[in-house]
Amino acid sequence: MSDDALLVASGITKRFGGILALDHVGIEVAPGEAVGIVGPNGAGKTTLFNCLFGLEVPDEGSVVFAGRRIDRQPVWKRSRLGIGRTFQRMELFEGMTVADHLLVAEQAASGTVRIWRDFLHRGGPTPAELHHVREVLDLLGLADLAGRPVDTLDLGHARLVELGRSMMGAPRLLMLDEPSSGLDADDTARLARILDQTRRSTGVAVVLVEHDLALVESTVDRLVVLNFGKVLATGGVGEVLADPEVRRAYLGITA
Amino acid sequence: MTQFLDYAVPGVPFGCVFALMAVGLVLTYKASGVFNLAFGAQAFVSALAYVSLIQDDWPRWAAGVIAVVVIGPFVGVILDRLLFRRIRTASPLVKLVPSLGLLIALPQVALIIAGSEPDIPPPAIVGDAQRVYLHLGSVPISGLELSISACTVLVVGVLVVLFRFTPVGLEMRAVVESPRMTELAGVNAGRVSAFAWILSSMMAALAGVLLAPLYSQLDPQNFTVLLVWGIAGAVIGRFSSLPLALVGGLALGVAQQVVVGYMPAGVIANGLRPSLPFVVLLVFLPIARQRQLDDPLSACDPPSSAVERGTSGYRSASTLAADDGTVRSVGLWHQRLGGDAGDRHPGLLTRRPTATLAWAVGGLAVLSAVTWVPPDWLLTMNQGVAFAVVFLSLTLLTGMTGQISLCQATFAGLGGFVAGQLANHVGLPVVVGMLAGGLLAAGLGVLVALPTLRLAGLPLALATLAFALLADNILFPNSWIGNGAGGVTVPRPSAGPVSFAAAKPFFLLSLVVLAGASVVVKLVGDGTMGRYLAAVRGSELAASSVGVDVYRLRVLVFALSAALAGVGGALYGSLEGSLSPDGFSYQISAVLLVVVAIVGLRSIAGALVAGLVYATLQVAVTTLPSRFAGLVAVLFGLATLSYTRHPEGFLDFLGARTLEFVGRRRAARSATHSPTPGPGGTGGTGTAVTGAHAVPAGEGAG
Repeated sequence: MSDDALLVASGITKRFGGILALDHVGIEVAPGEAVGIVGPNGAGKTTLFNCLFGLEVPDEGSVVFAGRRIDRQPVWKRSRLGIGRTFQRMELFEGMTVADHLLVAEQAASGTVRIWRDFLHRGGPTPAELHHVREVLDLLGLADLAGRPVDTLDLGHARLVELGRSMMGAPRLLMLDEPSSGLDADDTARLARILDQTRRSTGVAVVLVEHDLALVESTVDRLVVLNFGKVLATGGVGEVLADPEVRRAYLGITA
Repeated sequence: MTQFLDYAVPGVPFGCVFALMAVGLVLTYKASGVFNLAFGAQAFVSALAYVSLIQDDWPRWAAGVIAVVVIGPFVGVILDRLLFRRIRTASPLVKLVPSLGLLIALPQVALIIAGSEPDIPPPAIVGDAQRVYLHLGSVPISGLELSISACTVLVVGVLVVLFRFTPVGLEMRAVVESPRMTELAGVNAGRVSAFAWILSSMMAALAGVLLAPLYSQLDPQNFTVLLVWGIAGAVIGRFSSLPLALVGGLALGVAQQVVVGYMPAGVIANGLRPSLPFVVLLVFLPIARQRQLDDPLSACDPPSSAVERGTSGYRSASTLAADDGTVRSVGLWHQRLGGDAGDRHPGLLTRRPTATLAWAVGGLAVLSAVTWVPPDWLLTMNQGVAFAVVFLSLTLLTGMTGQISLCQATFAGLGGFVAGQLANHVGLPVVVGMLAGGLLAAGLGVLVALPTLRLAGLPLALATLAFALLADNILFPNSWIGNGAGGVTVPRPSAGPVSFAAAKPFFLLSLVVLAGASVVVKLVGDGTMGRYLAAVRGSELAASSVGVDVYRLRVLVFALSAALAGVGGALYGSLEGSLSPDGFSYQISAVLLVVVAIVGLRSIAGALVAGLVYATLQVAVTTLPSRFAGLVAVLFGLATLSYTRHPEGFLDFLGARTLEFVGRRRAARSATHSPTPGPGGTGGTGTAVTGAHAVPAGEGAG
């Protein structure tokens, strides 16, 4: 285990009844690094995400984020420590506007108690918070849609809102669960561009679960291949994808 | 062992009826997504029909058959067609309110149709209710117990055959397992659902007819109490398993007799029986919720219907991108649904017509109240103001957070009792007592919120219902809280030389309290917390994923809401001079929720109007001759039915309609003016554009 790693998960094991969803999976992410997780459906990618993020409690294993054990922390605490996440099946605040999605995330990330200030009518967003919301809106190209309720957005924009929400409050790690699912080529390209820009400007680390190999190749530094709950291979993108075992398990190519 | 049997065997017939109810509830819940609280009312209707027919000299078996096979299903089919079928995919609140309203209104409607309340004690359907036919060991079995058990065995047998060996049974089993999956497989779920309603209604009817002889007189309340047992049985069945619900109901029936049998007599033993459902609900609800998530297609939920959006629309669209490139925050608590956040309507009256109107009327009312209004009107208005404070607690909890509480009256009662007890025994000033009552209610709110933290929607509503029942039976009868039937006196406050004993000063004091409560609700709604609450309502998972501590927020809101209810209850108590626990039973909680939901949960004005409506209703029920009092219930039922069409509430619906009307008028005016762009048309066209634009996207008219 390297000392400077941002996220170190080791020996993660998760069973659902008789099914072994994760079998001693380890993953390590350095600060600023982008790691892709690929694998066939049912390989345990989302389960791994849920274990890292706190939605599932792993049966065994530990998760260390920025030098702290976080495997017993609730989701909201992990979020405040600096982990942002999007969901494969989108989770938006139905009825709320685009700008409010970002503002809620920005304010919640600071963890300040607001209720007493609300009573004094002093609980509103600070100029700095509003400024950051504006910045992210600009980055995502959503400034024109800031006042629109999210229910009225198309899928491409909605995915961007979810991405933007995960980016609020200066996270150190973004966990993106199939951000391109349901998007067309143009939307996916835009997503890749925005991810690239964000990484360069903020130095945030990214863990990306994705089936779109073009997006994976253009974004990540390193690839982890999961199959049947086990790490099949890990390493540079080209090298891993050339691995005959990976090609057989994931790409279905018999080399 | 024999002692155990002595206690357990008499519980079996109860268990049978609980089991029938539990199975009926699960059946309709899974087949149509509605947890039918009107089940108790349906049981009453059939029991009433049964007894009325017997009074008209029908043979008992014929009356029973008519009540169970004809009248029961008839009511069920009507409810399904008119109401429940339309709200299959609606939010928990939209599903719950109509069934609550029917639970209250349906018995009254039935009584009106029946003409008069039957005055004979209800007989058993077969045999003699009182006669002992046989002994099981040393336990005597009466005709009533025998008939109940025999009928239940018969029904269960028929059910098993139906479910195992008929095509429609197979389809129903599939629907119960997963409605969505079944529909995808090409089964007409609507037809299956109708069949499930018929079956379920027959069970309600049978339960009613079988249990009627237990009581010397038919009273809708008895059937509501039974319903809670049925609910507990359904929860043991995890809302989804018919056999488990059956076993659960049976076990509960036996358990309640055994528990009471072994307990020493007294308040605890008397209270223990009714509070057993609460314990069961608390233990089993978290498991049940987990099971609900197991539907393999739950990820493919159909998109929420327009009905649902009508209530879930949040009201703090409070950030806007301004032209100068900054983002500014504007407190838009009353942001209209579907309208573009960029729209600013000119003029207060066109922007929020009903709210403005309500405030204007309210202002006039205050003015007249302190000048010329007769004393009894003033009393009614004051009652309305006190209840408005209680309703505000629901605006906060249900309107903003989407959490459904069926124990707000309990909190209100607690606040009132505490204020009275402190004033009577400690000599604390009543105003301080009101605050203490609010605080204590908040504490109790935390106690209720903590074990139910992980619950939301229907399970939470049921847990609060069970808690209200527990309070009715264990807390309120105590002399140091509600003092049972005797009640508690609450004096009018006085502060030094200023006395609020007279009607007018007290009215003004009430207004001040209401204003304070309104400010609290508005500040929370407009502030950051309101935005968090809207986020949690939108997606709990996403809210916690961005760092919102959802559970803490929930407890906080629940406590705050309980505090408001407590203060409102104390105010009401001080106004009336005395309070009795009857006025704060769980039924009252249900009525409160239904009233404010119909009027409007999404604004402070809604709470105020609801308060006045409720006070007026009370006056109407108590002063009108009894046959008209039934009509009030009918109106109440009709309003409940209309609620599913306008879940945003009457007030917002009216507001949307007014905006539409104004918009149309302006458009029409501009149309007549525009062909002649003379000097006369200058004023009209400019506003006409904004006027037409001001029409919201028709959400209200849904």
